[in-house]
Amino acid sequence: MVADALHGAPQEHPAAAQVVNRPVLELIGLRIALPKGSDRDEAACGVSLAVGRGEVVCLVGESGSGKSVIAQAVMGLLPKSLPVSAGTIRLEGEDITHVAQSRLRALRTTRMSMIFQEPMTALNPVMRCGEQIDEVLSAHTSLTEGARRQRILEIIDEVALPDPARMFASYPHQLSGGQRQRIMIAMALVLEPALLIADEPTTALDVTTQAQILRLISALQRKHGTGVLLITHDFGVVAEVADRVAVLRLGELVEVGTRDAVLRLPQHAYTRMLIGAVPGMTPRLRPRDTSAETVLRVRALDKTYPGQGWLRKRAPVHAASQVTLSVRKGETLGIVGESGSGKSTVARCIVRLIEPSGGAIELHGRDLAHLGGAALRQMRRRVQIVFQDPYRSLNPRRTVGDAIIEGPMNFGLPRAEAMRRAQALMEWVRMDPAALVRYPHQFSGGQRQRISIARALAMEPELLVADEAVSALDVSVQSQVLELLEEIRQRLNLAIIFITHDLRVAAQVCDDIAVMSKGEVVEYGETQAIFSRAQHPYTQALFAAAPGRNFPFASGG
Amino acid sequence: MLLLALIALLAPWLGTVDPTLFDAASRDLLPGKAGEIITLEGETIAHVFLMGSDSFGRDIYSRVLYGTQVSLLVGFFTALASLAVGIFLGLFAGYLRWADNLIMRFMDGLMSIPAILIAIALVAMWRGSLLTVIIAITVPEIPRVTRLVRSLVLSIREEPYVEAAIALGTPTWRILLMHILPNTVAPLVVQGTYICASAILVEAILSFLGVGLPPDIPTWGNIMAEGRPQFIQYPHNIFFPGVFLALTVLAVNIFGDGLRDTLDPKMAKRV
Repeated sequence: MVADALHGAPQEHPAAAQVVNRPVLELIGLRIALPKGSDRDEAACGVSLAVGRGEVVCLVGESGSGKSVIAQAVMGLLPKSLPVSAGTIRLEGEDITHVAQSRLRALRTTRMSMIFQEPMTALNPVMRCGEQIDEVLSAHTSLTEGARRQRILEIIDEVALPDPARMFASYPHQLSGGQRQRIMIAMALVLEPALLIADEPTTALDVTTQAQILRLISALQRKHGTGVLLITHDFGVVAEVADRVAVLRLGELVEVGTRDAVLRLPQHAYTRMLIGAVPGMTPRLRPRDTSAETVLRVRALDKTYPGQGWLRKRAPVHAASQVTLSVRKGETLGIVGESGSGKSTVARCIVRLIEPSGGAIELHGRDLAHLGGAALRQMRRRVQIVFQDPYRSLNPRRTVGDAIIEGPMNFGLPRAEAMRRAQALMEWVRMDPAALVRYPHQFSGGQRQRISIARALAMEPELLVADEAVSALDVSVQSQVLELLEEIRQRLNLAIIFITHDLRVAAQVCDDIAVMSKGEVVEYGETQAIFSRAQHPYTQALFAAAPGRNFPFASGG
Repeated sequence: MLLLALIALLAPWLGTVDPTLFDAASRDLLPGKAGEIITLEGETIAHVFLMGSDSFGRDIYSRVLYGTQVSLLVGFFTALASLAVGIFLGLFAGYLRWADNLIMRFMDGLMSIPAILIAIALVAMWRGSLLTVIIAITVPEIPRVTRLVRSLVLSIREEPYVEAAIALGTPTWRILLMHILPNTVAPLVVQGTYICASAILVEAILSFLGVGLPPDIPTWGNIMAEGRPQFIQYPHNIFFPGVFLALTVLAVNIFGDGLRDTLDPKMAKRV
């Protein structure tokens, strides 16, 4: 199966027919050693893969599967601690596995290019975008300054950026994330390389921007016949752009095949598990108890940051305006929106990490929007929050046990009893109570998120706010944590506010959904209703942009 | 580092004589020469001048070893004092908005005066003693620590685990003490050892300039100051304390890096 798929270049490219036996990129039995003391011996163990001309191959895997290491190996960017121990990397037939740095420098951007996940850090903040592209040209061509400028303006135009002359003169911070990624693509493709490696190119972007960037990559790749190795963890992206898919697990290629073969009829158990863990777009139906008591009611919430600045008064920023929401006991309200939509602002107001500028936040009828001092402290035990980043939400210098008992002890629980509660909670979140004496760095992201949930539950709250609580996790871990949250909601009859940018996740866990854009709730209603007939154009755009929306992933059953 | 601490503690038993003793007969001896020295009681004892003697006939070996005591004391207590004050001020400046401007503008003012000038002025005000030297070196170091702590606090207070602690109803002083302070340790330890090293240098400079400890107390700066006029003829007067000074500063810095790594829970064994 693997051998067949290796050279199964797509048919629609006329050029592909002649070079079918000579792929742009060929990896043969690539092995990359890891330093001693790592959790496994090799980052890549015998990876064989080919990328044909004009073909998009998606390399899929969870974090730690070695997919980025393989990309770095091809570009010759591996650190010395990760040597290629065996195997061959061929670029257009040329063996570049152990080739000299000078040759690699000559090949980069002319024959192979790479774009990265984070377009802000991949661009130099003190250089104009045009100059950064110019660097590529002046290093590899003998064009005159005028000709180079001409070419740069052309390529900026080609990546569909408006007003190339202005883009040329802009600094990276003046552009949006999507625009920066377009500049990166322009830089990578300006010399028309045969191979483009894209390492999670859209992971840091909003869905609507992601959809545009994916379309752009596909369009350019088709136009120039570039071979693309796209690294991603997102099966939605795979369904959207891939010709062929390679699934990587702990450095081992477990399955290679055409997109439809892999997505529809996965052969390997691991692939099946991964695809099964992708939440579906069909909302899960749940019986609702409409007589349940309303825990939280947010009325006309405003959060305005006053314009600052000494010399010039800047315009005030409305992070949230006129937000009205409510959650009943035992139900989950989803707040969905892109970055900057104000969803986290609302969450932070509800937990009172910040004070709202206007409106009311009523917990069981008591307004806590402007509470202070002791009254606020009493309220804190009833509303708890779980944050997005599992690596930063636990204090690295305190043990897990200390983290969990901190809250209860603040409210007068003796240490021994708090510890007993922590032990019970650890079992609840499916962790070994013996782990309480360990430090956060000894746990994986998913485990840390469980610990954060245990810490929140230790306060026995009535309302739990989950701010992108599963967004940083791998799909398989994500589905486990979602299950855990669901189980806790049922067991404790807890009200949950679930903030996410991921419609798939929202479809699985939320009873109601509020869609936010630019600080306002643009659509608010039952999940079922919003998914079947979205009213607001913004919601519709969100749905249209969701990657792989036409692909029938497991409906979460 | 340990070796230096041992030398400082055990100075009297390391074959030294009273470092203030002088013997006109044994002036300007070269290193390794044998000679004799008269104690205060008037008896004469034979002594090998390992590092030679100075123009008063004092044993440089003994003086350098006793000088270690002074240097380490000055370094250690300066670091301790400036860290203590700096952490206190920095936590306030970083966490409480209203205190920020007040404290930091004062610190900026202090920083705009050259450290050595403040030290000289302070010592001149109170006359030289160990305590005044330590205070004099500490004062100009405080703004540096305060700035560092403040910048660390400003970034740590935005961390989700601090927000989680706020949401758990943890009182502010406990957040400062339990969550923020421990996470400033690594950079502070490095800064602390840097201060320790620079304090040793500043003390030597003050002594060398004659505004530090009185010349009868053996410090490396004093030894070098007294050796200066004869440097061309008898370079050993300056050479040995100089070597000790350089080695100590190096040792303190290495010690700081080691300490930082040991205190990091991530360095503890992964399970």
